[in-house]
Amino acid sequence: MRIACPHCGDRGLDEFVFLGDARVTRPMADAAEPADAFHAYGYLRMNPAGPTDELWFHAAGCHAWLVVTRDTRTHVIASVRLARDVALELRAVASTTEDASA
Amino acid sequence: MPDPILQPASAVAAWTPVATAGLSIDVRDDLTIAGIAPFRGKAQAVSEALAERYGLALPAACRRISGDDITLQWSGPDQWIAIAGRGAARDLEVELKPLLAGPAAVVEHSDARAVGVFSGKHARDVLAKGLPIDLHERAFRVGDVAITHANHIGVTITQTGNEPAYEIMLYRSYADSFADWLRHATAELTA
Amino acid sequence: MSGPQSNRLASGGRIDRSRALRFTFDGRSYSGFSGDTLASALLANGVRLVGRSFKYHRPRGILSAGSEEPNALVELRNGARREPNTRATTAELFDGLVAESQNRWPSLALDVMSVNSLLAPVFVAGFYYKTFMWPAAFWEKLYEPMIRRAAGLGRAAAEPDSDSYEKVSAFCDVLVIGGGPAGLMAALAAARSGARVILTDESFALGGRLLSERAEIDGGDANAWIARVRDELDALANVRILTRTTLFAAYDSGTCAAIERVADHLAAPPPHMPRQRIWRIIAKQVIVTAGATERPIVFGNNDRPGVMLAGAVRSYINRFGVAPGRRAVVFANNDDGCATVRDLASAGIEIAALVDTRASSPQYISELAAHHGVRLVNGVVTDVEGRLGVRSVRIRPHAGAPFTLDCDLVAVSSGWNPNVQITTHLGGKPRWSDTLAAFVPGELPRGMSVAGAAAGDYALYTSLAGGARAGHTAAEATGFSSPPIDTPRADDEPTSIAAFWHVQGTRHKAFVDFQNDVATTDIALAEREGYRSIEHVKRYTTLGMATDQGRTGSVNAIAILAALTDKSIPETGVTAARPPFTPVALGAFAGHHRGRTFKPERRPASYDWTKANAGVLVETGLWLRPAYFPRAGERDWLESVSREVATVRSAVGICDVSTLGKINVQGPDALALLERLYANDLASLRVGRARYGVMLREDGFLMDDGTIARLDEQHYFVTTTTANAAKVYQHMQFALQWLWPELDVQIASATEQWAQFAIAGPRARELLREIIDAAHDISNAAFPYLAVGDVTCCGGIKTRLYRLSFSGELAYEIGVPARFGPALWQRLLLAGEPLGACAYGSEALGVMRIEKGHISGPELNGTTTAADVGLGAMRSRKKDYIGRVLGERPGLVDPARPALVGLRPVERAQRLRAGAHFIARTAEATAANDDGYMTSTAFSPSLGHWIGLGLLRHGPQRQGEIIRAVDPVRGEDVLVEVVAPVFIDARGERLRA
Repeated sequence: MRIACPHCGDRGLDEFVFLGDARVTRPMADAAEPADAFHAYGYLRMNPAGPTDELWFHAAGCHAWLVVTRDTRTHVIASVRLARDVALELRAVASTTEDASA
Repeated sequence: MPDPILQPASAVAAWTPVATAGLSIDVRDDLTIAGIAPFRGKAQAVSEALAERYGLALPAACRRISGDDITLQWSGPDQWIAIAGRGAARDLEVELKPLLAGPAAVVEHSDARAVGVFSGKHARDVLAKGLPIDLHERAFRVGDVAITHANHIGVTITQTGNEPAYEIMLYRSYADSFADWLRHATAELTA
Repeated sequence: MSGPQSNRLASGGRIDRSRALRFTFDGRSYSGFSGDTLASALLANGVRLVGRSFKYHRPRGILSAGSEEPNALVELRNGARREPNTRATTAELFDGLVAESQNRWPSLALDVMSVNSLLAPVFVAGFYYKTFMWPAAFWEKLYEPMIRRAAGLGRAAAEPDSDSYEKVSAFCDVLVIGGGPAGLMAALAAARSGARVILTDESFALGGRLLSERAEIDGGDANAWIARVRDELDALANVRILTRTTLFAAYDSGTCAAIERVADHLAAPPPHMPRQRIWRIIAKQVIVTAGATERPIVFGNNDRPGVMLAGAVRSYINRFGVAPGRRAVVFANNDDGCATVRDLASAGIEIAALVDTRASSPQYISELAAHHGVRLVNGVVTDVEGRLGVRSVRIRPHAGAPFTLDCDLVAVSSGWNPNVQITTHLGGKPRWSDTLAAFVPGELPRGMSVAGAAAGDYALYTSLAGGARAGHTAAEATGFSSPPIDTPRADDEPTSIAAFWHVQGTRHKAFVDFQNDVATTDIALAEREGYRSIEHVKRYTTLGMATDQGRTGSVNAIAILAALTDKSIPETGVTAARPPFTPVALGAFAGHHRGRTFKPERRPASYDWTKANAGVLVETGLWLRPAYFPRAGERDWLESVSREVATVRSAVGICDVSTLGKINVQGPDALALLERLYANDLASLRVGRARYGVMLREDGFLMDDGTIARLDEQHYFVTTTTANAAKVYQHMQFALQWLWPELDVQIASATEQWAQFAIAGPRARELLREIIDAAHDISNAAFPYLAVGDVTCCGGIKTRLYRLSFSGELAYEIGVPARFGPALWQRLLLAGEPLGACAYGSEALGVMRIEKGHISGPELNGTTTAADVGLGAMRSRKKDYIGRVLGERPGLVDPARPALVGLRPVERAQRLRAGAHFIARTAEATAANDDGYMTSTAFSPSLGHWIGLGLLRHGPQRQGEIIRAVDPVRGEDVLVEVVAPVFIDARGERLRA
């Protein structure tokens, strides 16, 4: 498999380290039921047959954390984004939702 | 002046003997290197300060740019390194800190790296044995920088000349292991 | 049939008759010619019995002329280079080649193990699972050794492999797999457009099937055309041709792997040359022109030497100038019989009959038979007779009585299988074609196309045209446009077929998979026992396994199973083909990574001095750290280590700690990030001070420990353990880039910039005073415990000084730019001489940290919490940090959890062992009574006896209790006293001195 790092371009799998699901979000420390929220964050995963968002680290390259959207059935990668950009987007969405509900 | 008892040690002494017909290795023990890491939103300011002082702006990702007395090279997201010859006593950390203090973290890297320039007609083929990236002239050109690995050793490669010539930079402690691999990879040239 | 090359044809073949090569097979000398394979040379010398089969030790000959060979497996070379299971059909002949047949004793012709044939009822499908089930104790002692001796392939070399291997990466626009007619056209079309092309072929010559057929291209000999194409490709800078190279795997994203046999055609690789080389090829477009593999028909005794694929018969005649027999019967269900009859006739080989399974043959076949005066029989060959080779065949015409014909060669064809394997490595399934009676490529992976025989286009012109089209299309897909190239003139020979698999009513066993000795009866038995999925039948009978992966037999097996289960072939399906396509030596996968260069090593500043002074090095991750420095007269490591410890405790020692991970953390939010990464409070850390810190994983367990130094308001410098440096750096980047991207921080590794040495002992400051430039005040008042600062040493060298202590003594760590490391190390030792200093290594460091109860790798083992190792109080209550919430789970704060204690033997002379388990004094030593275990032990020279650290249930409450440390592995059972985990200077006065 090859992953197109947004910085470095197309690179072989051996340059990357896999971490796991990018669709789980670390709960806030002041979450209502922190034990439950962190349990879900730490241990509960969907394991879908189809597209997933995964966290990969370009360990032998530029050291960027990446969000790789990959189809688990075919290994076809639909997109590779910088984890920082994705995380900032998620923050923005979360704060908009919060504003709306406030 | 440094105490004469403390002679600097070469990081790359083991590389020189590997050179062979069609592969020159020019080791660079004489470099001063400093990391430049602009803080959030400060890359522009850093770039401008450098441009004003050296006539060079920060290069784009995977690129390197050289002026008369300094080279600037991308080294990762929002990070660059500055490289120059050490000469009598040049020290880029000392030189850049006053210029960039505030907008950027400036870190001494001079000793962290083993550096050599590989050239000659076999340079590309030898490096291709270990580096899993495309070094063909259509894919990698003068001024291109790639951070990758060879023989499980992290390597930053820059094409520095059309001959072609490549600068290889890796962490100092791996230099002897890299030489082992080089000897293996160049064996068929030594026949 | 023997004598010097008695079966060599008088002329013809792509061999160099001016270059004779000598070789031996089973100790007998023969000769062949340059251009021969071992198989063709053996056949030229009239040798057709070349091996014994896997289970029944049946005599076997040469079935094919390519890498699909199931029978002719030999041990090639000898000594360290002996390689078992080498296919004689692909081994290039070289002068001095030595080959041995396999799986026979005492000799090929007289193999006593062939009694296994009499035991055939025992060796049926699933015999492993049935026969040797009980008694269980017999398995290891009796059954397994017996089976291994009786059934098996060749012997691996006993010595280490003396050759070298390497791995190479290559990139291209278009990869063409197979250099036959379609592949040559594809490569040519793509290359002319300017695309970067790699063409691989497993043979030593390009041309594929053309090398074995009498074909004409552009009105001339096909060989001349091949030479013209090769010349053109060779002249293009954008083309790389890899012959002797088998593309054995296709992976995701256009990555393929190939094995190049660089020196296998030589007696031994020259010293500078690798024996084999693995190519990792990354291609934007892949064209599979891998050709096709012929299938045999299944009939009685169809595995006897002399039964050969019809295409292989033509290969031996046309390519190698060898007559594979004197009198042949051709047996086919397709038009392959035509060319075979024609080529046999032109080689002067007598043809006893052409047996065509079809009810009536096409007119051109009857005409050809008539032209050559060959008897055409529409019917089947039911059985071969002959013990060590074909002597006659029994023929059953569709109309009329069965009869027998004498012959020594049966050229057999049940059609061709397109070589679809590479197209299915990524999970795709091939598709059944009734017209071709074969599986053809199904849905292809992105960027892959197929042409020529691999696509089912067997006829020459169609194949050439298909290759040209595929090459052009692939090049265009990568952005290289050019006018399509012309297909050269060639004929499309007839290729009609009527599916026919298996002759019913044979007298003798009929084999489906030759290499695994799987007969039709085995498939029938498997089916009766309920194995009806082809994947199950494969595993139960072992058909399709081993070195040939069933390339000649698997479709016949599928057809036979389909008939047994009343299903169609497509309903029965095909077993998944997985890499590698042909066997690849493990040494090739290892490449440079073996022995001392198995992995890279990292060398710290003191490495050269340590080597020069006979110091002992130890691996820590990739680093080689000095472990201890023996001196003349010391009897063992313990004496050296104890002397080093005593020196540090009484005078001063110097230790290389360059290997610790060092990371710069800088920026407006540096503190905010570190507060979330470390469990303890850092907000109160002042500039110019350092603090010990522990880092947890999100699940609450300890991840790493180290020091955090504050160099400036927004500049922190943290250290990690040597082993965890990369992991911690990655974790910090994860926190910064993914968890808290709003934080404005820059992280940079500084591990390699600094050579760092610990200077420890009551006289550490005296020594340091000799080194640090006079302008810097390092008195206890100016530079107290946990102080940190930038100074200079040895006349102006940049120096970072820390007052840290792992040993518990007055101690400093001094960091200088790495290039000065080796010189400073020696300078420190020299300056320390009058003070009684010595160098100490990681062993002495380990002893001293155990004496002080500091945790290290054995306690930081992924299963301990901060509280477990006595650091629970450090955890901040005021902040969120990684691991806080999950670290408070009931199971992690259970007071019964094993927690850190110190241990000393009640009998002081007794030795303690790490790994021993704690058992209450009166309890039985069972797992149920396990109270924890000893993590670290050391002989304390300061105390004069062994001490230990361990994790004990309710440990802190059990100080003073006597328990047992039981080591069942060493058979030891030692009474130990539980004590506080600090053995020396419990009040920490020395380190503040």
